[in-house]
This record gives sequence, structure tokens and C-alpha cells, in this order.
Amino acid sequence: MVSGDGGQLYTIEGVAAGLIMIMTAYLVVNATSVYTAGDTHINDMQLEVLGSDALKMMGTPANTTMNSIDNSTLRTIIESNDGNKFNATFFPLINNRTLQEPDRFIQYTASYTYRYGVDSVNSTFITSSRNLTGGEHTVRATKWVVVNKQLPGDSMERDRAVLVEVLMWRD
Amino acid sequence: MTDENANLSIDFLVGFTIFILAFIWVVSIIPGLLIGLQSHTIDYDAVAYRTGVILAEDPGYPVYIDRSNLSWEEKLKVDKRDVDRLGVAISRDSPNILSQDKVNGFFHTCTTYNTSAFTYSLGDYQKRVIFSDYPYRFNISLRDIERNEIRSVGDVIPLNSSYGYIRRLVKIKEPSIATINASGYKNADNVSTHRFSILLNTTKLVLGEVKDPAYQINPIKEQIMINITNLNKTINQPSVNITLSSIAVKRVGDTNSYPFDELYIDDNSAPQLLLPLEVTNKVSLKFKPTFFDGIMSDAEGSQIYLTLTFNLKDPGGNPTNSTFFNNTPGTPFNYNSPNNFDYNYNPNYVTQPQLRPALLEVAVW
Repeated sequence: MVSGDGGQLYTIEGVAAGLIMIMTAYLVVNATSVYTAGDTHINDMQLEVLGSDALKMMGTPANTTMNSIDNSTLRTIIESNDGNKFNATFFPLINNRTLQEPDRFIQYTASYTYRYGVDSVNSTFITSSRNLTGGEHTVRATKWVVVNKQLPGDSMERDRAVLVEVLMWRD
Repeated sequence: MTDENANLSIDFLVGFTIFILAFIWVVSIIPGLLIGLQSHTIDYDAVAYRTGVILAEDPGYPVYIDRSNLSWEEKLKVDKRDVDRLGVAISRDSPNILSQDKVNGFFHTCTTYNTSAFTYSLGDYQKRVIFSDYPYRFNISLRDIERNEIRSVGDVIPLNSSYGYIRRLVKIKEPSIATINASGYKNADNVSTHRFSILLNTTKLVLGEVKDPAYQINPIKEQIMINITNLNKTINQPSVNITLSSIAVKRVGDTNSYPFDELYIDDNSAPQLLLPLEVTNKVSLKFKPTFFDGIMSDAEGSQIYLTLTFNLKDPGGNPTNSTFFNNTPGTPFNYNSPNNFDYNYNPNYVTQPQLRPALLEVAVW
């Protein structure tokens, strides 16, 4: 035991009291905002629903008649490699509002993937509203589409299933 | 030891540690205990999402079963308490495809045939589509992109406070319409009485090749509209007045004749109830879903014929002969005649159901 330790008790009490105060403050601040499991992913979920809806609507023909083929916008775009049409259709769909102007635009990049050869998968870029820089928190939406198209590895045009994939993020 | 004043005892350390641990534990469970009390402030997005799903993916409840068990949008004022849920999808099998009639019912814009349908208060929406004990404020809006039409119900969305929000992309199914150009059915017979017959083979329409509810013509679930235009261009005599004398609605195998549902003459927006009536150029017939259910019989094929009888008269009111709109020459009426106008899936004759893009937004706060 060293001499001159009269202040030791007060120091320890002070440190303990400080810790209690910090801990209490932390708990109080924490208690005011309660996050449910859904809250943490709610923004992602909204984008995911929106992207999924947009692809679904683009894949739904406006009308059909007996014996007609699927003439959906999405199928036509992929068969004709028409990125401009994809942008002209998809961008307003995900950004239009009913009663308000959009506050933050949603950007996207779209591509489709298909299998060719025995075990190979290839991805083809369709279009994007903005280039990905790598820092965006993107959300993925996908839709299978049957197209009649000659893809690399095919000897002729035939019905093929391709997976359209869109990555979306907020500005 | 000479001076122990600054030392903490083991008892104190143990007691203090237990106290701190207990304190932390108690404090950390308090928020969990309060979740139930303050949940309405933290789940706006979840409620908006749920409401969006109910609207876009559910047909509501009740759904149509038969004439005595109508769908919610066909219910009358007195049956308001029977409506449990206000979904606007055409069916559960076709998410994101909305029924035009349900949309009209939801946004208080019921068509004329259902003027006695009830309207909703904000409380009704809270009970039937928002679903919560807490009285959330809300705004539900639908933008018909092609028609550039916006409809909404609920309060004004707050600009300076947060609210839960979901946006769904949908398509509105527009029912089929047969527009019959009378000039294409001009009959050379120079007589004063003319008949035109229309076949609605409901069995073939519903159980035929088109199975997808999104594109199906289903007289039991959506209205059927028939427009006959250019009637005056079929007459080769000047000064002849056209009189629509009768409309016979019959089912094959049934001797009864049923009254027509809704009749509009020329551009008059008021439905006509009694015949005969003078016509200048156009006749429109509208049949609401319940109409066909009342006269159909699956066992006998449910082929329904509408026969319109026109009489031609001179300005003095006397019968006069002329060529006219006619595909049913002679009597008795022949159900199997190929000349009968068939309401079918041929787009050359009937404008097929169309899906119009729309945007549905739900805001909750």
C-alpha cells in the first residue's frame, strides 16, 4: 500500500458514477427509437416491390386474343435490343407519383442473363439511367421472360427463357 | 495496513455489480414492453404496405358467388355492413390487375346502374382496408396513366411530417365493348320491320380458350356493352323515322323473355326504361354482371340472344318500307343462324378487354 492514497476512493467513485451516467444516457437514447425487424429493411422493401411491379407490368400485354403470342413490352424490348424503349418505359414507371412530384429519383441499371452452351451463363446489358459507381445501396428485382431470339450459342431463333435483372437505388 | 480508507470492500463490489447488471437488464426490456403501446408510431410503412397489398392483390370480400351473394362493389346501401374488405383486384389469381367496377366503387364513382350503391366514410376505409384499432390517417390515390386521371380518398398528405408510404404499379382491366357499325349489316329487304340479333354464348366465353381472368370476357363478373352506331346510314328512303319497338332477351331452351338491363338512345345519358322509342342514330345496351347470372343456366349451355326489333315509319306515323340494319330476316327466329352477331374473342367484331397502366399509392400517418 502506498502512502498518500486518501483520494483513491473518491476517484473510483467518480469513475463508477461517470460510467453509470454514460450507460444511462446510452440506454435512454436507445430506448426512444425502437426498430422492429421490418423497419430496418423497409426502404429496400419498397424499392424491391416497385421494381418487381414494374417488371411485372412491362411483362403483361395490354390485351390478347386467342392464339396470340405474348406481345408484352418487355419481350419486345429484349427481342429487339431496344434499350431506349426500356428506359422510356421503366424510368417513368418507377419514378412517377400520383399526387406529388418525385423528391428523390430512383436510378437503375438493367441487364438480362441466359444460359448457353452446356454450362455457361452470359449476361447482356440492356440500359441504365446512371452508371454504378460501387457505393450505391442497390436492390435487385428480377423477372423471367420467354423470348424468341437467337442468342450466342444458338443455331437459330427459338423460344428462350432469359432472366431480366434490374438493380435500383435512390439518388 | 496502515491506512485502508481508500479501499473498496469486496461486498461493495459484488453488490454494486449485481445492481448494475439488474439495472441494465431492466432498462433494456422497457422498450420492448412499450412497443405495443407506441406501435402506431413506428409501423406506418408496414401498415401502408399491407394496405397496398390488400388493394392491389385481393378482390375484397365478399366476392361474387351467385345472384344472392354479390361482390362488395355490387352491394346496395342496405347491405353495407356485409362488406368486410375493399380489395380492387379482379381476382386473387391476377395480382396487380384491377377491376374497373371495383375501382369505381372504391373511389365513389359508381356507374349509373348502381346509383344506390353506398359510399364510404373515412371510418369505413379504416375498418375495411387499413385494418387497425388505431385510427390512422391515410391517403389512397390512383393515377390512370393513359387517361391522365387521378382519384384519391382520405386526408391531405402532410408535407412537414413523416408518413408511411407504398407505391404499387397496376393495370386496370377495361371491359370489352362491341361496337356494331350498322352500315355493315345493311339488309336489302325493302320491309318496314327489321330485326338484329346478338349472341352471347357465356359458356364459350368463360370456359373457352381464354382462361386468364385478365383477358377474359366474363359477363358474370363485368359489364357487357353493345353500341350500335350509324343506324340512319342504312336507310335508302328520305324522311323515314326509326323506332326501336322491342328488345327480346332470351336463353336457348327457355321460353321466357327477360327485360333488358340498361338502354341508352343516341347521346342521351339517361337510361331508357320503356319501349317503343324513336332513334336517330345510335343504340347502346349495357348489362351489369348480375343480369346474366339471373337468366343463365349452365345445364342448357347459357346461350343468350338479344333481338332488337325496329319499325320504320313515315312522318305521318305509318309503316313504310326501306332497307335497314338487319341480320335476322324472316321468322321464326333462328338461333343457329350464322348471321347472328357473335359477341366473342374476335377483335374484328368486339373490342377486347384492355389493361391500362396505373399507379396506386398509399400513405399512412
